[in-house]
Amino acid sequence: MKKKLIIITAIIAASPVLYSFCGFYVSKADGTLKNKTSQVILVRDGNKTVITMYNDFKGDVKDFAMVVPVPVVLQKNDIKVTGNNIFQLLNDYSAPRLVEYFDENPCGMRLMEDKAYSMAPMSRSKKDDAELYKNKSLGVTVEASYTVGEYDILILSAKESSGLKTWLTGNGYKIPKGAEEVLEPYIKSNLKFFVVKVNIEEKEKTGLENLRPIQIKFNSPKFMLPIRLGMANADGDQDMIIYGFTRRGRIETTNYRTVTVPTGKNIPLFVQKNFSGFYTNLFMHQWKSEDERIAFLEYAWDVSPANYVKCDPCVSNPPGYNDLKTAGVWWLGNNDEDYIDGNEPGGHVYFTRLHVRYNRSAFPQDLSFQVTPNTENFQARYIITHPATGSFNCPEGKKYLGDLKERRRKELNMLASLTGKDASDWDITLNDEENMNISADVSYSGLSKLSPDELKKTGSASTEKIIFASVVALACMCAVKYKVDRI
Amino acid sequence: MHSILQIKDARYFQIIFQAVFLSYGIFYLHWAKEGTCFSYYAAACIATQFLFEWIQHKFSVTSPGFWKKFYNGCKSALITAFGLCLLLKTNLWYVCIMAAFISIAGKYIIRYRKKHVFNPSALGIAITILLTGKAWLSPGQWGNDIVIMFAVCCLGFIVVTKVQKLDVSIAFLGSYILLLFARQVLYLGWPPDFFIQSITTGSLLLFTFFMISDPKTAPDHATARIIWAVLIGVLSFYLTAFKFINAAPVWVLVLLAPSVPLLDAIFKSKRFQWPGPVLSPS
Repeated sequence: MKKKLIIITAIIAASPVLYSFCGFYVSKADGTLKNKTSQVILVRDGNKTVITMYNDFKGDVKDFAMVVPVPVVLQKNDIKVTGNNIFQLLNDYSAPRLVEYFDENPCGMRLMEDKAYSMAPMSRSKKDDAELYKNKSLGVTVEASYTVGEYDILILSAKESSGLKTWLTGNGYKIPKGAEEVLEPYIKSNLKFFVVKVNIEEKEKTGLENLRPIQIKFNSPKFMLPIRLGMANADGDQDMIIYGFTRRGRIETTNYRTVTVPTGKNIPLFVQKNFSGFYTNLFMHQWKSEDERIAFLEYAWDVSPANYVKCDPCVSNPPGYNDLKTAGVWWLGNNDEDYIDGNEPGGHVYFTRLHVRYNRSAFPQDLSFQVTPNTENFQARYIITHPATGSFNCPEGKKYLGDLKERRRKELNMLASLTGKDASDWDITLNDEENMNISADVSYSGLSKLSPDELKKTGSASTEKIIFASVVALACMCAVKYKVDRI
Repeated sequence: MHSILQIKDARYFQIIFQAVFLSYGIFYLHWAKEGTCFSYYAAACIATQFLFEWIQHKFSVTSPGFWKKFYNGCKSALITAFGLCLLLKTNLWYVCIMAAFISIAGKYIIRYRKKHVFNPSALGIAITILLTGKAWLSPGQWGNDIVIMFAVCCLGFIVVTKVQKLDVSIAFLGSYILLLFARQVLYLGWPPDFFIQSITTGSLLLFTFFMISDPKTAPDHATARIIWAVLIGVLSFYLTAFKFINAAPVWVLVLLAPSVPLLDAIFKSKRFQWPGPVLSPS
């Protein structure tokens, strides 16, 4: 009865605005600069890490400054700028997706034609200028200074946080409130500070409107992202999307739980009109119900050049060999054995997309990661099903409508359990053309008028809770029995 | 044969509590594969236990009733299966079987003076990870929910006091936490919640109360046990704080296992024995 899917709708992730990285902006102007959502590419193999930080700075570029703690003093050739496109490509490829299915008319009539949708993801950008640094003797050492692309970069090491703070303030930086608390531990952990500003002349030479992402590479057993510094100038929750590439398999956080977002769920048809809103709500609800201290896995796939199935189904172009190289996957194509049949560059690359929403109270520590050998594919995928069209004046047609009603009831329940918002919070009116022959009691608006009990008439997901409770009860009984026997 | 309701053997508690943790993981933390994995671990552990008991029965003259001995050993095998399931992650069934086999076989094969050297599940975990590269430890999987932490502590406490080896858990946890506190809060200057996050991981507490506390693989003498546990705590701290090794305590437990016979030779004491038929390498 069900005709197979044809169409995919892709969205950009939960948050509409994508700002920059996890360091902190140090404002020179009075305006407060905030980084709400950041995107970062993490490439890791052995002790080597390549980090690419998306720069989506808004405002006058001469006010732009970023500080990122790094474990070692970086050399000039460890730093480069890359194109912005790679982030757009990775985001489009791995974002949560909506899949459509169409029912066939059981009475043999078919009116609908398949349509293809694509919600184009949005992109953004901004402007420029730079500054000069002065050095004072405050226990702050300028380990290196480079100009790379449109950026002036300093690598600082410091002996004490007050010196570093004085140095930054003295050189015209505004230290965000709360940043001080983490400077001291970072200095004592022997981290260096990667300070970035925009070089106006170089910026103009590039002729580009946007600031480009900065890519750094270094060797260190530490596999982490310093989010604590980024919390300094953020109000409330911040989002970070991490695109991880490894040779072995998925990456996961070691000091927080890594949880897969709910996937493969059937949801009501009207969600199509606002899939982005649906996913934002789902993410929020799941994040809250998982106690906030987690990293969500949104996508995981083997993207090795030799693997031909890089997504199923694909919503946009998967990253190719050149994209992977741009992202910093250095091991590809380096060895002769990597070339399959003498032309296709091989080597294993596994992709992971993690989405972290963090705040100061739920995330006291920076994010630590590990590479696991887990190569199981995963995608965040939600399913809508269009009803059949035409007349239902046959016995199968009647049965179909009954099944449809039941299915839609379940979809509404699923929507409520995924997002924490029931039908009344959504715009549930549908295109009449499609629902012409569907009676009111089968429509979503009809079903949503049912009382909550009627809507949820069958057993919910409570069976597992009952099993768990029984096991706990058994344990308690045994403990009591043991105590009684002892007396 | 023991009746379940006349509980004299702490291993029953251990089995039940570990079952509680596993069901918490499956039902509340939504672990997807652990249910299936557990059936592999349990079946393979018990089968291996049977195999080695049978071999021992064949070649031993003094051995008591085979089934009684096997039943007694099954409790330990089941604990090992739970231990593996709660710590080791893999997507492959044969890796589960392999880990279970190594764990149980290890306690029959690697023996010194009638005492097995390695903690069964720690050995199984370490060898499986190193040999196959298809399994991993997931120190973040338990999260930092304070309620489950409390439960692990309480339930662990009951089990451990029942076999009178609380000294090992306290000595290990005490030294590890103390060093971590000194490093993170006193030296580096992180705020207290940074430190709390480090010590409230389920993995650490499970290790403390359900793995290192195993009386069969700890030294026999009380002083030796304290020395041994502190040594594990100190080395774990070093590897965690300076070498950034994840799940360091498990590795250290395997690494330091050969020191137990040495400590037993220096500090002589009565050997621990589970209730039930004697001579059982459970």
